[in-house]
Amino acid sequence: MARRVVVTGLGGVCATGANVAEFWANAKAAHCGISRRTLTAEEYSLTLPIAPIDGFEARIEGLGRDIMRADRFSQLAIAAADEAIADSGIKFGDGLGARTAAIIGTGIGGQTTIEQGYVGMMRHGKRPHPLSILKFIPNAPASWMSIRYGLKGPAFAISSACASGAHAIGVAADFIRNGGADAALAGASEAIMTYGALETWKAMHILSDELCRPFSKNRKGLVIGEGASVLVLEEYEAAKKRGAKIYAELAGFGMNADGKDMINPAVEGAAGAMKLALSTVGAVDPAAVYINAHGTGTLLNDPTETKAIRETFGADADKLVVSSTKSMHGHLLGAAGGIEAIAAIKALEEGVIPPTIHYDEPDPACDLDYCPNAARDRRIDLALSNSFAFGGLNAVLAFKRVH
Amino acid sequence: MADIDAVMLDIIKGHAIGLTSGPTRETLITDLGIDSFSIVEIIYEVEEKLSIEVPFNANENPLGNMKTVGDLIDAVKKLAGKE
Repeated sequence: MARRVVVTGLGGVCATGANVAEFWANAKAAHCGISRRTLTAEEYSLTLPIAPIDGFEARIEGLGRDIMRADRFSQLAIAAADEAIADSGIKFGDGLGARTAAIIGTGIGGQTTIEQGYVGMMRHGKRPHPLSILKFIPNAPASWMSIRYGLKGPAFAISSACASGAHAIGVAADFIRNGGADAALAGASEAIMTYGALETWKAMHILSDELCRPFSKNRKGLVIGEGASVLVLEEYEAAKKRGAKIYAELAGFGMNADGKDMINPAVEGAAGAMKLALSTVGAVDPAAVYINAHGTGTLLNDPTETKAIRETFGADADKLVVSSTKSMHGHLLGAAGGIEAIAAIKALEEGVIPPTIHYDEPDPACDLDYCPNAARDRRIDLALSNSFAFGGLNAVLAFKRVH
Repeated sequence: MADIDAVMLDIIKGHAIGLTSGPTRETLITDLGIDSFSIVEIIYEVEEKLSIEVPFNANENPLGNMKTVGDLIDAVKKLAGKE
């Protein structure tokens, strides 16, 4: 029988929380982390709604000298990893470090470093800093984790745009399941709050010019956020043996590709990934299912995801509850699947569904229960976290309570 | 070339986490507490501030057989053509 994989530690940082406790308290309180900000690069500027992390700069020195010299996306990832490791109580001595993976997703990598370097180089003839490459390579967070905690198992980055985080967690769990590792730090990080990156996103005509209103008829698009999250994953028997607090079992993971279109999502792909994730979880009461939706608040994602949920669950789709926490913390892009996995796990643990906020106009094309505007108490036995990326890449995580 | 001495000591001071007081020409390089990142950063700063080019390969230890901060300063002076 294949080995089971459980979550024993959580760490995260985003606009609505400097750590998991704050993030979850704010999620239950329907707190919105989105505000209108101005990003500048020399004489250029752009004002738009985003969900940035305020005050993180004050924490950087405490992360140590190495990490002070890293790009913001690595700094966020290390803050999340420190928290997750402390939360789990895991110790990497006695050979466990050699059997522990570090798999961290990102959509872009060190955007701040790239942009500052190019502006200096091309506008001011400044030579690039010699460590720029080491700062912006997408694998920097995984590498820093391997160095910081002495992890010598499989370590790399996964990049699948907005599904990176879910892919990283799912793939890390597969390593443990198949014996390629005994434990893992798995998650994602994204920090692209720069003028150039946001102007480029704006060019795609998919950003909201006000709030993020997933599944609501008056939705205008997505709002970019930033952040990181890390889960400590362990083989179930080992976690039990050391008396670890077990949040949930990662009971299912589905991934596939639409194979169809770079922009437009496909119902079959999203539904296929959900069905794959559900194929290993066993029987479950549909009234005790919560889906943390991809729920970007874009014109196309929300009805497509709704249809995919209906195709996956059939008549049971009307019994389960769906919500998009992106309405609060924004779209963390490559890191979305990580922070949303934490929302799903906390929902499962506490029996509270975090709401979809700013929902004020029903859309006939989005006709599920989206837990609008206020958190709801509810027994949850199974929590799914959906991630569907540009480029048609889908990843779905299924968390179950361990009995 | 006192100015190069001063510039070099100032650059090294910014990276020498192993020291409790400022470095001098006699300070041992092994006591500075610098890592591979710091060496690359020190060379970059030297190049920027003294407008010289330091030939090195980041995979090799650019400090070679140098033992003291003075050895390092003298090597930089040689590159700057001032010795």
